[in-house]
Amino acid sequence: MTGSETLLGQIWGSIVGPPDSVTASVLLVASVAVPLLVAVAFVSDGLRRHASWLLLLAPMPALLAAIVLREGTALVVLSPPFRLSLAVDTAGGLLLGGAAILWLAAGRFAVAFLRADPTCDRFLVWWLFTMAGSFAVFLVADLASFYLAYALVSFSAFGLVVHDDSPEARRAGSLYLSLTVLGEAFLIAAFVMLAAGIDEANPLIREAVAALPTSPWRSAILPLLLLGFTLKMGLFPLHIWMPLAHSVAPAPGSAALSGIVVKAGVIGLIRFIPEGFPMPGWGAALTAFGMITAFYGVAIGLTQRHPKRALAYSTVSQMGVVGVVLGAGLETGSGVALLLAAFYAMNHMLLKGSMFLAVGLASAGGQTDRRIGVLLMAMLGLGLAGLPLTGGAFTKYAIKVAPTSDLAVFLLSLSAAGTTALMLHVVMLLLGGDAKVGKNKGLVGPCAVLSLVAMALPTVLFPSVTGGRLSAALSVDALLGAAWPIAVGTALALLVFRLRNRIPEVPAGDLFVLASRLAPTVSRLSGMAADVDRALGRWQVAGITVLGLAIALSTVMLVQVR
Amino acid sequence: MTQDHALSAADASGRLLMAGLPPGPLLALAIILPLAGLVPLLLLGPRAGERAAIALAGLGLLLAILIALQVGWSGTPALYHLGGWRPPLGIMLRADGISAGMLVTSAAVFFGISLFAATGRDRTNTFPPTFWMLALCVASGLNLAFLAEDLFTLYVALELLTFAAVPLVCLDGKAAQLKAALTYLLFALLGSLLYLLGAVLIYASTGTLDIGLAAQRLVANAPATGIALALMSVGLAAKAALFPLYLWLPPAHAGAPPAASALLSSLVIKAPIFLLLRIWIGLAPAPLAEQAAPVLAVLGTGAILFCGMRALAQSRLKLLIAYSTAAQIGYVFLMLPLVTYSGPLSMPESLAWTGGFLHLAAHAFSKAAMFIAAGVIAEALGHDRISSLGGAAQAVPISVAAFAIGGLSLMGLPPSGGFIAKVMLLTAAIQQGVAWIAVVVLLGGLLARGYVLRVVVSALQRPETDASFVTIPLRRQSMALVLALVAIVLGFIPLQPMDFLLVGRP
Repeated sequence: MTGSETLLGQIWGSIVGPPDSVTASVLLVASVAVPLLVAVAFVSDGLRRHASWLLLLAPMPALLAAIVLREGTALVVLSPPFRLSLAVDTAGGLLLGGAAILWLAAGRFAVAFLRADPTCDRFLVWWLFTMAGSFAVFLVADLASFYLAYALVSFSAFGLVVHDDSPEARRAGSLYLSLTVLGEAFLIAAFVMLAAGIDEANPLIREAVAALPTSPWRSAILPLLLLGFTLKMGLFPLHIWMPLAHSVAPAPGSAALSGIVVKAGVIGLIRFIPEGFPMPGWGAALTAFGMITAFYGVAIGLTQRHPKRALAYSTVSQMGVVGVVLGAGLETGSGVALLLAAFYAMNHMLLKGSMFLAVGLASAGGQTDRRIGVLLMAMLGLGLAGLPLTGGAFTKYAIKVAPTSDLAVFLLSLSAAGTTALMLHVVMLLLGGDAKVGKNKGLVGPCAVLSLVAMALPTVLFPSVTGGRLSAALSVDALLGAAWPIAVGTALALLVFRLRNRIPEVPAGDLFVLASRLAPTVSRLSGMAADVDRALGRWQVAGITVLGLAIALSTVMLVQVR
Repeated sequence: MTQDHALSAADASGRLLMAGLPPGPLLALAIILPLAGLVPLLLLGPRAGERAAIALAGLGLLLAILIALQVGWSGTPALYHLGGWRPPLGIMLRADGISAGMLVTSAAVFFGISLFAATGRDRTNTFPPTFWMLALCVASGLNLAFLAEDLFTLYVALELLTFAAVPLVCLDGKAAQLKAALTYLLFALLGSLLYLLGAVLIYASTGTLDIGLAAQRLVANAPATGIALALMSVGLAAKAALFPLYLWLPPAHAGAPPAASALLSSLVIKAPIFLLLRIWIGLAPAPLAEQAAPVLAVLGTGAILFCGMRALAQSRLKLLIAYSTAAQIGYVFLMLPLVTYSGPLSMPESLAWTGGFLHLAAHAFSKAAMFIAAGVIAEALGHDRISSLGGAAQAVPISVAAFAIGGLSLMGLPPSGGFIAKVMLLTAAIQQGVAWIAVVVLLGGLLARGYVLRVVVSALQRPETDASFVTIPLRRQSMALVLALVAIVLGFIPLQPMDFLLVGRP
């Protein structure tokens, strides 16, 4: 599979020409519809027996769509006033393709991983709904459908989080759900304000965003959008749910959550940041929070003793990096930065997905599987950190174009050192973990294939996405720039390893643990409401209320009359 | 109000068909038809009576749809003068867009609830004929409340509803039910009294009870006008359980059998709410209505926030749903400051109008679905403690799905009627610069998501080890799902003002 996607696309293009509009439309609709239909097919016991084939089928249309559809292919499924429109652009296509590959491999992995689990079917239904939502969120072009797709992917992912039904999973699930609900509220407020300025009730996202810079509610819309989407990305201080939720899911679930679901926030910002309208203040704020997150995630991640939690904190940190790039886009209004953010996010999607599978492999497979898992984890980790000649190095090289200050570029490089340390920390944790032998078969294949794709694909895509040459990223300067963070990070990792018994583990969900101190206040408020409720139930109070209301209403009107 | 339709062939043939069918008598028929069901119930025994009642519920739905089509096609309200006498002497029935909309909604929900009630009081018992008699009286009373045009006939409709609804609360005769029913009755009486007082004042100052005529004759700056309107409003608010007069609702709605709870919570309270709106929209002089609108919206806010908080704190499923009814009532009153009372509505105003009434309809469907589903869940589990609903998703998957899908509408998540309605209110509030209403809509959505998801999450968890479940036949589970799906279908209404709901707006 390595890198054949674009090649395949080229071959496809040269033989049959670009797909005609009917094929394109069918592909677009099928990308979202097929996973949903497969989820419905799971109702039937007979079809459910073919789960592993169905899981292969579900992401196929999306994968095909990402390969063969040209940028700008758009389709109005339902015309206004109902309006449901799908479209492919470069950023959406990158994430769509990456997600399809990850769903494909992780689906294979999930069937093998959960073979002994009696509630596996339930997991797979949530899996398919999350998949449909994730494809939809990368494809939809109008505001209302975006909200629907975003809600679908967010709420379905809850099923992946709580699958194990342990107390930790329940706690993480509740927190995830609460914050998801909060994020949706921010977004609906922003979307309604965006649409309120336009005659069309449900405008295309493009139209709505174009009107954003002149909107009278601009200063309210932007923070709401930023809050809603960075919450999903897990930017500091809204990251609290992420380490909890991502570490309690079964390994393939974590791969989907950390790889794909968080990217709903990324595509949100890419879609809603207005191109060509620099907003320096907001951009600087996003950059700053991204930068803080990039280092904060590493710092807390290094104290973790559980490989999945450490990986989850790495996702926090990496989304911080994406936040920095997106912040640069908001600051300068540059579309290039947005595209680079998508490129980097796709790279992270595949790498982090593979890593969670590798950790799952190491914990659930046999002795050989365990060695392969650790080895893959090490390779993937260094790829994420930008080890020269890996795909990660090319994406890291690419995003350095985005920031507006040299300091930011330097800090980005420094964050790669942090990533190196954190990745090596995960490898050490895996090596040091108890060497219990699992029995699951069939885990190695999907994990290994996905890892290879993850490491190679960014290299293949680099020239067409950035318009630069691979050789530019291979110059001595670039290689040195990529190498020193690895060296520094390795040293840091060794230091952490030496001190491992002296560093206390920061509880996962760090700030949440602090925030739960507020619980007594909340329960006191609730108790007060109960008292009021009881008081209103007394007859005297009820009588007085009736009288008071009547007097108040008549007074209001009489005052007007005078 | 003119309407622009695409005149398709079907449309034209439909008009031809309707041309021979005068709409007026249909209005009277809508009120009489349910009462005709009392005859077989009394004479032919329970089984045949039950079948007749369900058939009449279906016919009622057809009739309501016919009336709505007539109103929609003609673009003018349907009128009927009883006995050929015109107001002020005679009594007039009138179906404008909003009444026709409420008529169809209530007939459809009523039909759905009847089909569920046909599967029995619980697994082993059927409903006694009393239930069906009361239900038919509720149907008739609702239609009368939506169609009547004069204050006294409306009073009769309210009383009919009260006297049918109170026994529904205490159908089983348990002590707690009797207590709840008594509280309900006292509140309803107080409400009737205040309403009657207001109506008398209106009659004294205008010499008519007809809403249209009285509206022309009412003098805005006479103190009696304001006092009369205030008395009627408070009376109706007590009957509608509008905050802070909601206290009778949770025990009454939560204690009844599921089919009765669904009737009470999704339909019965809609009549006083509708009348309360009608008084301010159709009767009150515009300057007074503009003064009172924010006060009513503040009460609505209280309902949404306070009752929402209380719903969140409940430990019993049925009580939670009842509190959520008390909360959801509030949304329709948020509409009042967002519309004008003199002259045609502007674009954002008609959006608020559509949102408000759409919310009433969506709430009726979703609440009926949720109460029925909750009843079935409690039947399967043997209890309705929210904290130990684990296993419900395996025991009664369809009911849990119905609850969750109905809940989408309450939470304001797409695709659902509640989502569209809330987005319309939100948009209207933002476009008119009334920020506090927008904030209330958003906060109310957060609270609703809190209390609905709490139940769904608990139902998805694994059963406790010693739990045992009763199997519930599929037929009994599925009606709630159908009702919930209607609330979802309402979510595909385009996000723009509906001309139909504006037909005959004064």
